[in-house]
Amino acid sequence: MAVGATVGHAPWKASCPVTAARREPDPPEDDLVARFRAGEELALRQAYDRYGRAVLHLATSTLANRSDAEDVTQTTFVAAWLGRDTFDPDKGSLVGWLLGIARRKVIDRLRASARETRVVETVRQLPEPARTGPDPDTVVDRLVVADELARLPDDQRRMLELAFFDDLTHQQIAATTGVPLGTVKSHIRRGMASLKRRWEVDGAAPGPRPAGLPGAR
Amino acid sequence: MPHLDHDRLVFLALGETEADAADSTHLGTCAHCRAEVESLQHVAGLGADAQGLHDLPDPPEHVWQGIVAEIRAAEALPTLPGPRPERSPGGHASDERRVDRSGDADGAGGVVLAPRRGRWSRWAVTAATAVAAAVVGVVGTLVVLDGTGSAPEPAPRQVVLASAALKAYGETPPDANGEARVFDNGRLHLHLANLPDVPGYYEVWLINPRNMEMFSVGVLGDATDELLPLPPNADLEAYSVVDVSAEAYDNNTAHSGRSLLRGTLTG
Repeated sequence: MAVGATVGHAPWKASCPVTAARREPDPPEDDLVARFRAGEELALRQAYDRYGRAVLHLATSTLANRSDAEDVTQTTFVAAWLGRDTFDPDKGSLVGWLLGIARRKVIDRLRASARETRVVETVRQLPEPARTGPDPDTVVDRLVVADELARLPDDQRRMLELAFFDDLTHQQIAATTGVPLGTVKSHIRRGMASLKRRWEVDGAAPGPRPAGLPGAR
Repeated sequence: MPHLDHDRLVFLALGETEADAADSTHLGTCAHCRAEVESLQHVAGLGADAQGLHDLPDPPEHVWQGIVAEIRAAEALPTLPGPRPERSPGGHASDERRVDRSGDADGAGGVVLAPRRGRWSRWAVTAATAVAAAVVGVVGTLVVLDGTGSAPEPAPRQVVLASAALKAYGETPPDANGEARVFDNGRLHLHLANLPDVPGYYEVWLINPRNMEMFSVGVLGDATDELLPLPPNADLEAYSVVDVSAEAYDNNTAHSGRSLLRGTLTG
């Protein structure tokens, strides 16, 4: 029962932002996952410090009511902790799993408020409940991709941020950074491949990927 | 037909390369390359959206405090008994308890209620089948034992207001089962085992058995334990039946009529 390994670590001090491009030395994810699954409470706090923002963001951006969003965040981490031995790291990342739990809770709330709306509007059934916020699946996908972006090797991340955020072409990136064109291309290509893989593993949409992606991969 | 160069697909997706006639012809006929470009475009769009996610605000402190409080409350609950080696039905209850406790040694780390798929006790369920109140009685006993015995330190107790043994309903395979408990903080705790796979998802309802009026409490994930908030003014005397149904993604929020488990709250 190897629990003593955390001596000297200030337990409740926030360590790492998740979906942030802030670069802080990440305690290895594998280690966190193993300790989380083993029931070490410190690991719960660390997971919360890393991923609580992402979970809250998913909830606040999809639910109209702030206290509902905070409650979803709370129940997500409680459910994750109580159900931690159902987490299978082979099937995806810890943050992907947490966002999956939060996503279901968000959908619950949306359905509940849609029902309330329907009770109020007794006249006709809307085909689709009117939604105020963005689709939860899209928010999960964004968070997952943002998280992967933050985890990419510095060079790849920097090139992709210039392409995504500043809308630079690879020639412009090469000119701006002084990195040879071929190197820029290969960073972007590898970075894109990582983002796509991560999205396929941890993304929300349970249904088919857009437009007939070949099944086996 | 050779596929397009993958680099080219990436830069087409990023919108910095114009598709020439040859590209367009290929993409028009090659589903593989088309799907790859579309996926990459989608991912690039998500990546562009990531900019706003750099500095998300921290959750307020009371969220963490709520998590701790709720987990402490759950820890204060008795450990659910583990599977029992097959033996004669005459076994004494205290023997059972010792078996269950030793079975939990791997769960060290001070956290009780670690859910384990399939570990829900057949014994508890059969007992409950025989005498509905038996489960309540057993739970009560274990709470007392936890307080005096193995629990390392007393934690604030979560009071169980009512509980229900959930049994397979209708054509559900008979090994599906579970337990529902209502805590005094207004949450419904569900512990489930052997639910059959369904194409859609599971939804939890409270039903008034007199007129079959009902409301939905929430949906279940794939965990064996779920905590769902109940509406604060829910009348559990009237809505006394806990029901777990199989639902489809069919744009219909009403109960599907396919109940998998049911049980009546007592307490």
